[in-house]
Amino acid sequence: MNTFLRKNTVLLITLAAILALFIAAAQGMEKKDFVITLLRGLSVGSLTFLVASGFSLIFGLLDVLNLAHGTLFMIGAYIGWTVFVRPDTFVDLLTPLALILSGFALGDVYPLLATRIRFGLSLKRILPWALVFTSILLFGWILPRYPIAIWNVGNYGQSPVTYSFMADSGTRLPVLPAAFTEISAPLALIGLLLASILGAFGLALFNNTAQPLKLNWKKFISFAILLLVALLTFIFNDSLTAALTGLSSNWLFVIAVLVATLSGAGLGALIESTLIRPLYIRPIYQLMLTLGMSAIGIEIVRAIWGRPEFVMPKPAFFNGSGGVCPATNFADWWANNCSTILLLDGRVRVYNEIFIPIVGVIVLISIWMLLQRTRLGMVIRAGVQDREMVEALGINVRRVFTMVFALGVGLAALGGILAAPSMGLSNAMGESLFLNALIALAIGGLTNYPGAALGSVLVGLIQQFIIKYGQIGIAIPFTDIIFKPTPPLVPASTVLLMVIILLILPNGLLGKKE
Amino acid sequence: METILDVQNIHTFIGQYHILQGVNVRVPQGSITALLGRNGAGKTTTLKSIIGLTPPREGKVIYEGKEVQGARSFDIAAKGIGFVPEHRAIFRDLTVEENLKIAERVKGDYLRKRDFIFDLFPDLKRLMTLSGTALSGGQQQMLAIARALVPENHLLLIDEPSEGLAPVIIEHMMKAIQLLAKDSTIVLVEQNFLVASQLAEYYVIIEEGRSVQAGNMKDLVNDKAAIHRYLGAA
Repeated sequence: MNTFLRKNTVLLITLAAILALFIAAAQGMEKKDFVITLLRGLSVGSLTFLVASGFSLIFGLLDVLNLAHGTLFMIGAYIGWTVFVRPDTFVDLLTPLALILSGFALGDVYPLLATRIRFGLSLKRILPWALVFTSILLFGWILPRYPIAIWNVGNYGQSPVTYSFMADSGTRLPVLPAAFTEISAPLALIGLLLASILGAFGLALFNNTAQPLKLNWKKFISFAILLLVALLTFIFNDSLTAALTGLSSNWLFVIAVLVATLSGAGLGALIESTLIRPLYIRPIYQLMLTLGMSAIGIEIVRAIWGRPEFVMPKPAFFNGSGGVCPATNFADWWANNCSTILLLDGRVRVYNEIFIPIVGVIVLISIWMLLQRTRLGMVIRAGVQDREMVEALGINVRRVFTMVFALGVGLAALGGILAAPSMGLSNAMGESLFLNALIALAIGGLTNYPGAALGSVLVGLIQQFIIKYGQIGIAIPFTDIIFKPTPPLVPASTVLLMVIILLILPNGLLGKKE
Repeated sequence: METILDVQNIHTFIGQYHILQGVNVRVPQGSITALLGRNGAGKTTTLKSIIGLTPPREGKVIYEGKEVQGARSFDIAAKGIGFVPEHRAIFRDLTVEENLKIAERVKGDYLRKRDFIFDLFPDLKRLMTLSGTALSGGQQQMLAIARALVPENHLLLIDEPSEGLAPVIIEHMMKAIQLLAKDSTIVLVEQNFLVASQLAEYYVIIEEGRSVQAGNMKDLVNDKAAIHRYLGAA
């Protein structure tokens, strides 16, 4: 105990100072304001944590600073919105998506294929380019002709903003037309599959350094599953759409959260295995790549979903109003699903300020269990310290890398879809939260998992307290002056906290000394 | 005697530096072979090239009759090669028990080998719940060797086992290595010639990235000129 105190004196004093600061902040406002501010802080902290923890896992194990993490958070939000508000578009996208991915699922097979085929040196140089080029041509020809029921960002009446508003007000959404007219269905499906395989083969040839030693049926499983998914979603397209549209908004929300998280994870796996992997020996290129991906991601979102901001409707479970609302106790809320509940006279939004922090805590505990109690977690913790040694033990670290990247991006996407009904969807939502997450990690310790949680909560709390004090003002002791922090002080306050903490503890609150 | 590992004229680059410029090592099954040479001669890089951490650009690494150069290191290791690196590379954030469990290649490896490991290094038994950071240098070395014993390995690559250890502990370590040699083949990198000469039956001297002399350890012990020339020891 004594050694613990001696070793962590500075940390404990810092934590005590932060605690004292919050107690002082609590004294300056009414109880209901304090409760609301505290819960809002935890809500922002939870969303920040979802981004920060994924980023920190990826950085800790892979040494990749994924600057596109905020953009992937945003993409998660938009994907979730699509499932929730336009299930027809989502179902239409499943078939081509599964086909596009299927070729990449054969990743382990290509190097072996390349060693089996003997070709001359000049062909060896040209072939990857030719394959990738053919694949791009095929995609470019088929994808614009592939019928997908989608909104029209150019027409306000058919834009995501309008559909979002209609869904929120309970108006029935119009059915969007889509049918195979410009291209025949078999041609489109086979073409996409071929383009995917050619493209993935070409990319694999570019990065053909070491070969796996044996080939077995396991390497074909994911390919077969994707093909099956493509086929089934194609055949049962209409019934699937009808089933989703007929679901209650609660179940649709659950599906939206799952789809957004899994798409995030899938996107992460794809990015790691195709774009990041060839660049492990060139960290600067990696940095530029993720920065570029971030910009491209934002432009893609603008092109598909448009620039205007909109809010995803809350599921019915959190959206009740009228009558007994706001609920005064939990039983009332449970019975009426009020959107707000009264806690200590403060009106608290159930989804934003209670549900999101609960999800945050659940994720915190689950990932903690994953890291501490499973073999994968053990490999991750060991790999953060010494990747080479883990590899030398006979563990395929590269596969673990892909999993961790997928997990990290999946967490960000989960944050995105959770934020969609509270923060709303905008092209800038990722940037601002990503900045929060970076500050939180600097405060908590860059590759420390509990540190990411602590830093995120601190960032969320300090921001919300400053916002609140911007409304009610801080009475400066021994004077009559009431100081009201202006909005620019909100981000500035977190940066200030970061600077102070880094001056005292250069590795962050819980970061390990190098 | 059958050859378990045959390294043929390997050339290894680290970045732009041509570190190994033709190393040949032939390791008979069931023997202890020592790689000798001065600091920076390329002994550690030779071990890393065998296990694939610094893959050779040219030459062959033949293990149990199959070429493994160019394969990924986890695939090479999974063929039954255990690696005990210089500075031990104990995982700090893992407990001693987790440091052993992570080396499992087949589920249950650790449970099967636990008693054997504790017989060899009784000290480890009472340290199981401590984190890797809490161990002394000698304990870390024991753990690093124990870790290589968890899976079914036929060949152990041990880098500088005596480095930075007190003489009593070195003696203990030597006994352990001799005991291990009964069941597996060992390639040893060792700066301390006294230790190497007592443990190994065969030797390969590496000088400036090339293997320059190899043979029976007994012959080398009497070849004072070679010892002086290549190892700088009297």
